Amino acid sequence: MDIVPRAVVAYVFILFLMRVVGRRELSSMEPSDVILLVVIGDLVQNGVTQSDYSITGIVLAAGTIGLLATLTAYATFRSSRIRNVVEGEPVILVEDGKLIERNMKNERLTLDEVMEQARLQQGVESLGDVRWAVLETSGSISIVKKE
Amino acid sequence: MAGAPDALTLKRHRDMEGRRWWVQARRVLLVLLAVVLVAALFNVFGQRPHTSIAAAPRASLKVYAPVHARSGVVYAARFHITARQDIKDAFLVLDPGWAEGYTVNGLAPQPLTEADRNGRLAYGFGHIPAGQSLIFFMSLQVNPTNVGHRSQNVELDDGETHILTIHRTITIFP
Repeated sequence: MDIVPRAVVAYVFILFLMRVVGRRELSSMEPSDVILLVVIGDLVQNGVTQSDYSITGIVLAAGTIGLLATLTAYATFRSSRIRNVVEGEPVILVEDGKLIERNMKNERLTLDEVMEQARLQQGVESLGDVRWAVLETSGSISIVKKE
Repeated sequence: MAGAPDALTLKRHRDMEGRRWWVQARRVLLVLLAVVLVAALFNVFGQRPHTSIAAAPRASLKVYAPVHARSGVVYAARFHITARQDIKDAFLVLDPGWAEGYTVNGLAPQPLTEADRNGRLAYGFGHIPAGQSLIFFMSLQVNPTNVGHRSQNVELDDGETHILTIHRTITIFP
């Protein structure tokens, strides 16, 4: 059944794509991000199962993706090096009210996006009140406000 | 100013020490991805049709069909025979690569005869008078398991007499 190698290729490619396009697209829901995340699911399904409508096909495709997700989680749990490759690492965006411009540019983030999270999470009104802003590996921005 | 939050270090997570390569690597990978997509625009992965032509004193043959395709795609192959001299019993003899790993959705016009000729598909169309043409279409769908290179030579015969051959290969991507 070539559905298993197809699912493996799809999983690895999507993982690669998500790492390459950047974390911003993982958590934000701008129109272009919605297109990326929604459309990918549909396109991948076509490539993995093709014209196979069988229950066996569902079991093989979903089972392969599930197993790979578990193996990936186990590998990232066991090895920090693999975790850094697969998930990336946090990036500090704001330190003591000061933007780290280079990191913001590399992650294609704007001040508006950081401040939006600051308001939502901590009710912070000014960048000067932010002690730390960190882009997490999930793509979300965590905010620690000054005491 | 206190140090970074627990589990973070200023050198690695603010100054990106030992991680700057990833910013560059990500750009390179994005460019590589774009290269693949541009290659697709230039028909590297199919399925834009390609015209193959062969001519002989008695007839010419044009085959208009993709030479690159992907599993699952549907396309039609067009065979255009032009008789310069009378062909009493025209046969198109196709390599098995035209049918193996394919679903043949239809043939138009329906050949007068369909037979095997030494492991190849032989479609008989009968008499084509000098100066006349015959156009034959094969509607095909590549099966998902059909991947790799396949020979798709096409031979035009008059009965058992060879007139000309077009040599083609199709590459099917998964």
